[in-house]
Amino acid sequence: MTDKLFLYDYKTDKSYFYGQLLADLNSIKEVSEYNCNHDLYATFLNLISGILPNQDLVLLDSDISEQELQNLNLSKTDLLSSKAVSEMNIGSVNELTEKLKEHSNWQLTLFTSGTTGIPKKVVHKLSSLIRAVRISERHSEDIWGFAYNPTHIAGLQVFFQALLNGNTIVNLFEAGREDILQLINKYRITNISATPTFYRMLLPLADSYPSVHKLTSGGEKFDAGLTETLLKAFPNARLRNVYASTEAGTILESKDDTFSISDQTLCKIVDAELFIHKSLLGEGKEFTIEEEEWYATGDLVEVVEHDPLRFRFLQRKNEMINVGGYKVNPYEVEQALESHPLIRQAYVYGKANPVLGNILMADIITDDTTSERELREYLNPLLQPYKIPRIISFVKSIELTRTGKLKRC
Amino acid sequence: MLHMLLEIVNIVRENKNQPPLPELKPEFDLRTDLGFDSLDLAELTVRVEKEFGIDIFADSFVLTVSDILAKLRND
Repeated sequence: MTDKLFLYDYKTDKSYFYGQLLADLNSIKEVSEYNCNHDLYATFLNLISGILPNQDLVLLDSDISEQELQNLNLSKTDLLSSKAVSEMNIGSVNELTEKLKEHSNWQLTLFTSGTTGIPKKVVHKLSSLIRAVRISERHSEDIWGFAYNPTHIAGLQVFFQALLNGNTIVNLFEAGREDILQLINKYRITNISATPTFYRMLLPLADSYPSVHKLTSGGEKFDAGLTETLLKAFPNARLRNVYASTEAGTILESKDDTFSISDQTLCKIVDAELFIHKSLLGEGKEFTIEEEEWYATGDLVEVVEHDPLRFRFLQRKNEMINVGGYKVNPYEVEQALESHPLIRQAYVYGKANPVLGNILMADIITDDTTSERELREYLNPLLQPYKIPRIISFVKSIELTRTGKLKRC
Repeated sequence: MLHMLLEIVNIVRENKNQPPLPELKPEFDLRTDLGFDSLDLAELTVRVEKEFGIDIFADSFVLTVSDILAKLRND
């Protein structure tokens, strides 16, 4: 088992076997309190080495800017803090997975775009992160294509699903189309969980990839047009659409764009909005108010059948924009733009796009001449790349609603 | 048409601090030769649509510069 491949990362062209993972864990004397690492293996190692001695961890995007760190009240020195731990002494992969499962109260902090413009902190216990993990002999030979950001809930769920079954993980995140297709064949990948944008970037698919037996789509509105093309190229695959949120992880699963709720004590629909029971949630300031039993997801749905209840997602109730699976708060981007000395007012919005789902646009009023390129350069150190508007228009006026708020469509 | 497309491609490239290309060959792959990721391709679709009134990714994904030219000619 120790000679089984744990991770192949195309970014470094390195293979890590389970034997090396155990050796690296056993040599660790101190563990990080924050992870903000570009390297996937280092991130995985930080996660595992945090759980074993029950040392809580804060997970940050590796491309987070200094400004974004400041918004979280963190400095670069904070990120270097670590704690000494005693030797881990893990003898086998089986022992590793069993020990991990014992620490169900271990806590991981994540950040998600908040509705106020400041990132929202969400604290998950290991038990809630692995609630959807299925461990069985049937999964022992799964080979996972890793297509999500490891700092996001979907990436973490793939990581734990693979690790707790002793599977191989092949990094596909941010890889180019040709590399991905080649890696699927070379490593005989069986499972891929990704956003519709990830799958769209694989098109056109001329060849067939028989090793894949399960494709999962999530993080964005389901792309029904994509299904047929995908199933042709992955002839042995079943396709599942999942609905998940940073606050609760995976909640619903279906074969198409409609979902049904089997347990109405956990999910319900009120005024066309999906509500989740608090027992499914991580902890966070904004949404675990003791007296409130239910958390409003902000996702609006359309009921297609009443008995049994079936529905499909329509749009967000709030103004969050889904850009290729990443949620962007327009207010945060407007604030960054308006911090530029020449910009008087900025209006950031999403426009439907066949590649990304939505593309980020900005209308701005300036006092003097500046260029799109100059503004993009100004935003680069302030915001993560997906939060930077790709089309910036210089306008004379920005339409306001009657209440004086910016009009959003 | 190729010249106008080159200008648009170079706007997308310059916006992300890549040097402009001197010419655009029909066989260029948008992802490998032009170095475009999903964000860049999305930007390209908006700029091409603004110029030519055609959504190049509407019914199928385009891979190369000649795929784009074919879509623009067909409409």
